Amino acid sequence: MAVPKSFEIPADRHYDSVHHLWARRDAATGRVVIGLDRFALEALGDLAYISLPEPGTTVDRGESVGTLEAAKTTQNLVAPIGGTVVERNEVVLKDPLLINRDPYDAGWLVSIEPADWETQARQLISGGAIAAWVESETERYRSHGSVE
Amino acid sequence: MSWRLITDDGVSASFGLAADEALSPPTLRLYTYRSTCALVGRFQNVAREIHVDFCRDNSVAINRRPTGGGAIVMGADQLGVALRVPALPGRTRELMGRFSEGVVAGLSDLGIEACFRGKNDLEVDGRKIAGLGLHRDLSGGLLFHASVLVDLDVRAMLRILKTPFEKITDKEIATVAGRTSTVRTTIGREIPLEDVRSAVASGFARAWSVTLTPGAFTDKERAAIDRLETEKYGTEAWVFQTTLVPDAAGSARVKTPGGLLDVHVSLVGRMIKAVYIRGDFFAPESAVADLEARLRWHPATPEAVAQTVRSRADEMGIPPDALTEAILAAAQKADPYGCFVKAHG
Repeated sequence: MAVPKSFEIPADRHYDSVHHLWARRDAATGRVVIGLDRFALEALGDLAYISLPEPGTTVDRGESVGTLEAAKTTQNLVAPIGGTVVERNEVVLKDPLLINRDPYDAGWLVSIEPADWETQARQLISGGAIAAWVESETERYRSHGSVE
Repeated sequence: MSWRLITDDGVSASFGLAADEALSPPTLRLYTYRSTCALVGRFQNVAREIHVDFCRDNSVAINRRPTGGGAIVMGADQLGVALRVPALPGRTRELMGRFSEGVVAGLSDLGIEACFRGKNDLEVDGRKIAGLGLHRDLSGGLLFHASVLVDLDVRAMLRILKTPFEKITDKEIATVAGRTSTVRTTIGREIPLEDVRSAVASGFARAWSVTLTPGAFTDKERAAIDRLETEKYGTEAWVFQTTLVPDAAGSARVKTPGGLLDVHVSLVGRMIKAVYIRGDFFAPESAVADLEARLRWHPATPEAVAQTVRSRADEMGIPPDALTEAILAAAQKADPYGCFVKAHG
């Protein structure tokens, strides 16, 4: 299957450039919503299953914040920031393909009360750095797959 | 480059799975389970996939793999392959194919031309000879699983694994047998499993340009195995966990210009887990098996099903629109969400 020419990567959030999860902070509540980006979904394919931690679970940055399965492959979701899970998206637990269809809105994964947003957000890609990252990541994906 | 090679036989279900997870990379492990074990994929619901009462009454061990995919039986006639390597770049689909090259090369040395199905299994003439799975851990390291069918008692397997069929008769057994292949039936002789193991080992060495050095579990791995058996693979919480993604099964019998179609579909959420296509029509068995394989772990949307059916239309002897309609009709009856899959018309 050919790699897309371009990937939808909204500029209004932070990205873990290694594990391809996004994090968007709500300025009013301070909570951070986490999801998968299009690079991750291009690599994975259609999601068959996903598990997410229950509200109240604490997770550190770099630890597992769930597990998914796509194309007979399973892997952990790596938390881009640490904190306490406040809410998880119950809809995607029943319909994982919603994440493929709408990863940035209806396909969100968990909402976290962050332990240290200011420090950990600096380790993520955001703002003006996103464009260059997207360009280099797109090229990297093309080098591992056929070009459309 | 050198990989460690571990071989062991007759292991319990919990030990086999714990050992795979505990392996230090790079290691290739070729082993057998004690007959018989029923292993579900990472997220499957055991009660939906396995005849649990039969297993308990007949000492069939039930457990859950860390890798994805469907339920399988493992025992003395199935070769377990576990390859543990550090992180590798690449898309999941391509990594699965890359890993399977070792098994393909090994089978080729036995005179078996197997090929990698785009996302699923290894096949010979459209019939499954090995199941595949992959797990990526938190560090990015990879565990590749393959279950190579050296031999298979289909009747015994169908007593353990559930199918979309309402009852198991000789016809259903023949259908399932027609979709699988084994090393022994393909080469036409009772080759010892040890010979298959040697061939697969050589295959991996050649496919990956590595030297295999026989070794054993380290003390650290043994301790990790004990811990994993106690805390994970030996627990009901791990084995019998459930997922919220709904399972459903449906059937449809449709008259088409090409003949009567009898279609059974198993769904996992909006994904087709398995399709069985039978009926009164003329098509090569390999073409039917090929289409069924392409539809495994496949989105159940009308557009996606139609596209895949069209890709095999020439060989099926049934108008593609009619075949698509029948599959969607069965999926609609299965529909776990209610009215999300609509057959045309």
